[in-house]
Amino acid sequence: MKTMIAGLAFAASIIGSLAIVGPAAAAETANIWVRADGSNFMPRIVDAFNKGHENQIKLDIIPNAEIIPKYGAAAAGGTAPDALSLDLIYTPSFAAAGQLEDITDWAKSLPYFASLSPAHVKTGTYKDRIYGLPFSADSSVLIWNKKLFKQAGLDPEKGPTNWAEIEAAAEKVNALGGDIKGFYFSGNCGGCNIFTFTPLIWASGGDILTEDGSKATLDSPQLRGAIDLYRSMVKKDLVPAGAQTDTGSNFFAAFAAGNIGISPSGAFAIGALNTQYPDIDYGVTFLPGKDGGWSSFAGGDNFVVTKGTTKVAVVKEFLDFAYSLEGQTILAKYGSLPVRGDIANEALKDLDPRYKVAAEAMAKGRTPYSVVFNDLINSANGPWNQMVNEVFFGEDVDGAISNAQETMQSIIDSAPQQ
Amino acid sequence: MTSIATITTPARPRKLVGAGRRQWIGLLYVAPAVALVVVFFIIPLCMTAWMSLHNWPLMGVHRFIGLDNYWAILRDTRFWNALRFTGYYTVIVTIAIFAVAFPLALFIERPRPLTGFYRTSFFMPAVIGFASASLLWSWLLNVDAGLFSPAAFELGLTEKKVNLLATFQPAFWSIIAMVVWKVAGFTMIILMTGLQSIPPDLQEAAMIDGAGPFARFRAITLPLMRRTLALALILSVAGSVLAFDQFYIILRGGPRNQTLTAVYWIFNQSFVSFKLGYGAALSMVLLVILVALSLIQLRLLRQPEGVD
Repeated sequence: MKTMIAGLAFAASIIGSLAIVGPAAAAETANIWVRADGSNFMPRIVDAFNKGHENQIKLDIIPNAEIIPKYGAAAAGGTAPDALSLDLIYTPSFAAAGQLEDITDWAKSLPYFASLSPAHVKTGTYKDRIYGLPFSADSSVLIWNKKLFKQAGLDPEKGPTNWAEIEAAAEKVNALGGDIKGFYFSGNCGGCNIFTFTPLIWASGGDILTEDGSKATLDSPQLRGAIDLYRSMVKKDLVPAGAQTDTGSNFFAAFAAGNIGISPSGAFAIGALNTQYPDIDYGVTFLPGKDGGWSSFAGGDNFVVTKGTTKVAVVKEFLDFAYSLEGQTILAKYGSLPVRGDIANEALKDLDPRYKVAAEAMAKGRTPYSVVFNDLINSANGPWNQMVNEVFFGEDVDGAISNAQETMQSIIDSAPQQ
Repeated sequence: MTSIATITTPARPRKLVGAGRRQWIGLLYVAPAVALVVVFFIIPLCMTAWMSLHNWPLMGVHRFIGLDNYWAILRDTRFWNALRFTGYYTVIVTIAIFAVAFPLALFIERPRPLTGFYRTSFFMPAVIGFASASLLWSWLLNVDAGLFSPAAFELGLTEKKVNLLATFQPAFWSIIAMVVWKVAGFTMIILMTGLQSIPPDLQEAAMIDGAGPFARFRAITLPLMRRTLALALILSVAGSVLAFDQFYIILRGGPRNQTLTAVYWIFNQSFVSFKLGYGAALSMVLLVILVALSLIQLRLLRQPEGVD
């Protein structure tokens, strides 16, 4: 092993000296990782960047579930990429682990810093320093099937604007019978429900965590109300039986099959439906509160830089390009929302108008902040997922809520303080 | 053995040198195997033990904390619950596998028409990986798009489509059925070789003495299969204690975390909570438990004194 490293170092020094002898400045190549969710737009941005720049980016696409452990292993072995596009909710825990480069000064020097997606910047900030900046964005919205609405005698151009309207419309669509169901959600998927269920609570004035993520606040009338909405729809058989055990694999597919009236979903669904299911005629609206109003989960990726990398300059150059109008337009065209508020409309102007709703949802979207997000929310065996499954389908709603409240608080309290 | 020893005695002085050399050559022959075991088992095992003494996050710095991880395990009720469930699952699934595999072995042991066909078809599921088998069954068990629930509904057996994975009992027994389908063929082959090694004249003699089929099975077949049974049992128990894939892929530990196995918990601690050190400590505890279980089984199924 040692001789191999020595050999590599020798080879590198030769290449290095050749480069110095060679003409002009040496082009550098930075390595970047992205999770599979970004496999549509990321290669296109990287290609566009590589064509117009001396410095190059080498992109690796990693399966969604693998990227965190793989990055951890690579960081331990000293082979981590120079930067990665990271699910934004992980930014606090990565920053807390001391794994990320502090990019506060550079970020604040950007002229458009103030118009970058606020939800991203908030999760990218740890102890008042900035470790992550927005890269791609996905907001949660409500989608409805216009064809089924028309068949059920509803106005196909008008989506539900409060909870009572959701339930009433779902009931009407459900009455069409056969394989057609009124409503769909993934009932055994923590990630899906934080994305699409909590906005119902937020829009009604409640929350599940305090602003700084230090307290769980599950015991609220707003959460109870939202639970009652889902329970009532399950009880009336408006939801397919498979929802109870859907771990997220049907999150998008159920609506795309064309038999579902209404489903909470995300901006990603617009691109996916348009390209893969062009026959589905659907509308996009906000996830409403109990009596109107709306909210959204601002998701997507933060761009983070591995601590100690020597390619910071290349990485910044790349991010600068991604933030340009050209970069933002590529992003919007291939499945992500723009992350720069000031040029979002311009980047979206030639695209499906339904993106505008999603972009507006993004601008006012929220993201829970926690260094133990994975443990609390995303884990299939975490307290959040266990609770949603029990309260939507089980008997003991109060017990499930208080149990989850207690477990979440104990996970927060025993989180590593660094 | 003794007869060979007496024959070789006269040649001893000359052979001693050769024996020494042959020992070296022998070592050379086993060296690749030893190297594999060292690189892929001993070293990782030592590393796991070393990591278990640290607070070792997936990212960031690790620090030595002595036995703190092990003290934490003592208070980790969810791990002990997972272990209890693993024990329950192991007992049930082992009984189920043997209850299916033994009759199958008896059935295919003797040549009869189509034996080859039966052997192959019973054994077939064993060559599929656990992960792919789980994916197949998670489709079969799906309430909307699968096979079992819609079929039962269409045939009028159930009033509406029953979601088999939504509550503990049907979910648990579905997994048992899947594992038996997948593993019984393999156990059957092991048991069959044991059956075939019993000399037929013993059975014939007993038959002439008037022993019925049940008496022959109890007094001849079972005792002579001790070693085979021990092998099949240890393989089945070890495999079940380490169960993970099927619960992860089909059930995600649900419904409501009632099917979290010990390995699943280790996986969660290591790769969901990013506590690699703690996961390593849990693995060491599970290793000790597994070694103890295997020793107990070997002892119970040891040949009694005086029987060769």
